[in-house]
Amino acid sequence: MIVSNDSTDAALFVKVSREDVVKWDRKSIVEALLRETTISPELAEKISKEVEETIIKSKIKFITAPLIREVVNGKLIEYGLEEERKQHTRLGLPIYDVDQMLISRNRENANVPHGPEATNLTLAESIKKQYALLKIFPPEIAVAHEKGDFHLHDLGMIDRPYCSGNSLEYVKKFGLSLPNAISISKPAKHPEVLIGQMIKFSAALQGNFAGAIGWDAVNLFFAPYLVGVDNEKLEQLAQMLIFEFAQQSVARGGQSIFSDLNIYWEIPKHFIGVPAIGPGGKFTGNNYEDYIEESQKFAIALFKVYKEGDGLGRPFFFPKPQVHITERLFKTEGYEDFLYLISDVSSDKGNTYYVFDRGETAKISECCRLSFKLEKSDFEDAKTPWKMRYSAMQNVTLNLPRVAYEAGGSDERLFEIITERMELMARAHVYKRNFIKKLLDMKNQGPLSLLSMNRDGEPYYRLHRATFLFGMVGLNELVQYHTGEEMHESNQALKFGLRVIAFMKKEAERLGEKYGLRFVLEQTPAESTAYRMAKLDLEHYRDEALTVVKGIVEKNEIYYTNSTYLNVGVPLSPIERVKKEGMFHPLIEAGSLSHIWIGEARPDPGGIASFVVKTFKNTQNDQIAFSPEFTSCLDCGRTTRGL
Amino acid sequence: MQIKGFIDTTFLDWDGKVACTVFTPGCNLRCPFCHNHGLVLNPEQYEDVKEEEIFDFLTKHNDFIDGVCITGGEPTLQKGLDKFCERVKKLGIKIKLDTNGTNPTVVRRLLEKDLVDYIAMDIKAPLNEEQYSEVSGVRCEVDKIRESVNLIKNSGVEYEFRTTVVPSLHTFRDIEQISRDIKGAKLYVLQKFQPRFAMDRGLRNSRVLSDDDMKKLVKIISCNVDKAFFRGK
Ligand code: SF4
Repeated sequence: MIVSNDSTDAALFVKVSREDVVKWDRKSIVEALLRETTISPELAEKISKEVEETIIKSKIKFITAPLIREVVNGKLIEYGLEEERKQHTRLGLPIYDVDQMLISRNRENANVPHGPEATNLTLAESIKKQYALLKIFPPEIAVAHEKGDFHLHDLGMIDRPYCSGNSLEYVKKFGLSLPNAISISKPAKHPEVLIGQMIKFSAALQGNFAGAIGWDAVNLFFAPYLVGVDNEKLEQLAQMLIFEFAQQSVARGGQSIFSDLNIYWEIPKHFIGVPAIGPGGKFTGNNYEDYIEESQKFAIALFKVYKEGDGLGRPFFFPKPQVHITERLFKTEGYEDFLYLISDVSSDKGNTYYVFDRGETAKISECCRLSFKLEKSDFEDAKTPWKMRYSAMQNVTLNLPRVAYEAGGSDERLFEIITERMELMARAHVYKRNFIKKLLDMKNQGPLSLLSMNRDGEPYYRLHRATFLFGMVGLNELVQYHTGEEMHESNQALKFGLRVIAFMKKEAERLGEKYGLRFVLEQTPAESTAYRMAKLDLEHYRDEALTVVKGIVEKNEIYYTNSTYLNVGVPLSPIERVKKEGMFHPLIEAGSLSHIWIGEARPDPGGIASFVVKTFKNTQNDQIAFSPEFTSCLDCGRTTRGL
Repeated sequence: MQIKGFIDTTFLDWDGKVACTVFTPGCNLRCPFCHNHGLVLNPEQYEDVKEEEIFDFLTKHNDFIDGVCITGGEPTLQKGLDKFCERVKKLGIKIKLDTNGTNPTVVRRLLEKDLVDYIAMDIKAPLNEEQYSEVSGVRCEVDKIRESVNLIKNSGVEYEFRTTVVPSLHTFRDIEQISRDIKGAKLYVLQKFQPRFAMDRGLRNSRVLSDDDMKKLVKIISCNVDKAFFRGK
């Protein structure tokens, strides 16, 4: 950062990024410009001379390489070289911001832990986000995100896919041998060891995914390790599993692993007749259906732990238990007691998520609201369950109220704008995919070596099976602005909402075909996105937004209603809510959820169980959860990082 | 039937069921611990809920609603009670009646017409004139209470007797005595008194029984009835 400006030879010194101080050399500017931009050598010479003159004339005493770069950038702008300026730009943060970040807690989101790990993550994310918007996505997409037409989620994690569904069978079969790890573990022989491997692998995966790490059929896949294990030991193992997950809040950025445990009471149809893997990663000679007793006992043990809560009796936020409610469940002995137990946990702690797999569908849930319907090819996978690894690559959320503002009441225009926006969103998916593919293609040598490790004939991350998500915020406000009524207010309004989502689904399918990718709708699990969009619209579409935005404008506590939800502020019977919100669920393939607020009193578990059964039998609702109180963390557990 | 309140969905009022609850105005007793005293003393302060509104809801959602709880006040004082119950039953929905047991005639009639599926009857005190009158705030004909108890016990419908245990009104002995008075009952539930909402201001500061106290009481009554437990935090 040094130094003097000796009048004789202008011996200016420059502090450069590799922790060194070098003598001023104009040529470095030329080299950088030629290396990084498409500018001509003559122009580079010219600019470097002008910059040198400016710096020397200024008589400044300290100069750093970044500052020189900014001066050069200034020159590039003077010359109207916008593209070259972008190529030559620096990414970083003002020192003031870093100071704030390191020392004070994030005021906007108290749930984000504060500590050296957390600020490392925030800093890294902020630079990667800038990188993504400049380098991965073309300007029209970056600008649409910045303006708030739509939201590209997890930009700070641009070099990772979004979320993943995993199979314990992979860990059982192959043990834990992560690329670049110093030591490898063979397939586990004992359940404790398997738990340890599962958690460590989860932590490793969390370093490679932005969102949730889901585990399918956990109780069933543990079962072959639990033969002959007595109840006391079983409960200990359940405790170990849940506490170890819950207390991993020392992992990436000081956050917990966003983990989900999928649990079945019955043997899912697709696992019947499938040879079971047991201790040592060997086939036991039995099929999964032979382990139903152990599987059920473990499910009960897990829920007993959820019922107890943590050391202070508080609920565990992670790992989330997702129980699949299927036709088979009702044909499997003992289901009433099990339903009562998990409903009791709902009533007491709120943990249980009820995932409804009606008819022949089966689903893997990865994050509280994200589940994937298994398709034909997946049922083939089920015969080799270690291959059941799924992922959503990215999530882009459309700002629906703004579409209505711009359409100005015209149906035709409204649907046109949706098409335009989704086209751009689809292209954003293609860019993300190509970037991740590039990293994956580097295999062992690349940053995603964990995801490209190949133990079973294909890479861990099965790119061809990746899904790309189109989320939405504020359907209710779109409908309200466009038709004059909120969705709970009239059938017509509700129908219009359905029409919009059906249209989005069709568009997603059309675009999927066009780009050869699997595009599906998703309910965006991001309250902060609903806030961000409301805020931006109040700035740029003030008059329009004021008529529909929810919350308190004066206090800046505003939001749009999440995804396709009905207004959360109106007292609506839980029955109406699961029925009406459920009407959207068949259109939203990547899972959707209704929240039932049950107030402060502790409801009767039997009543909850009855409600769950009816929701399964009498509605199209995909997933419900009960929340003892309204808190945003229960709502999702995950607050989006980034803008 | 006059209705002053309607909860469209509850998991609290009928164990094991998704239920609605309707509140009827007025009561012939004046229990000092009553927490619905607004409904008992000044029901006119609440707006009427139209029956139609309730039946609209029930018709639309009888695929979810298992039962309707009729509570009050004292529902057996209502003229249109039978009709209301008939309409509900026609939708295939069950009925739970909360009553203080002072109207055995109405209870009998409802049972004969097969209009109730569950009866929850309060037992305020041991079944003697003096104590019962003291705890229920008015002169009480205990014979009628006893008649209701017997009717319900022999009715064949599901039921519970229940007592709100108020430390300043009930001794452990009293509770034990009640359990003897209803000896052989299928279910006897003790409810923790919530002083905050008591009709009698003097009671609003009284102490709350601990879970341990309640458990002790449950143990004491258990030998006289088939099943006993307590409710309330
Ligand atoms: S507690 Fe029941 S019986 Fe007593 S006054 Fe209140 S409503 Fe009437």
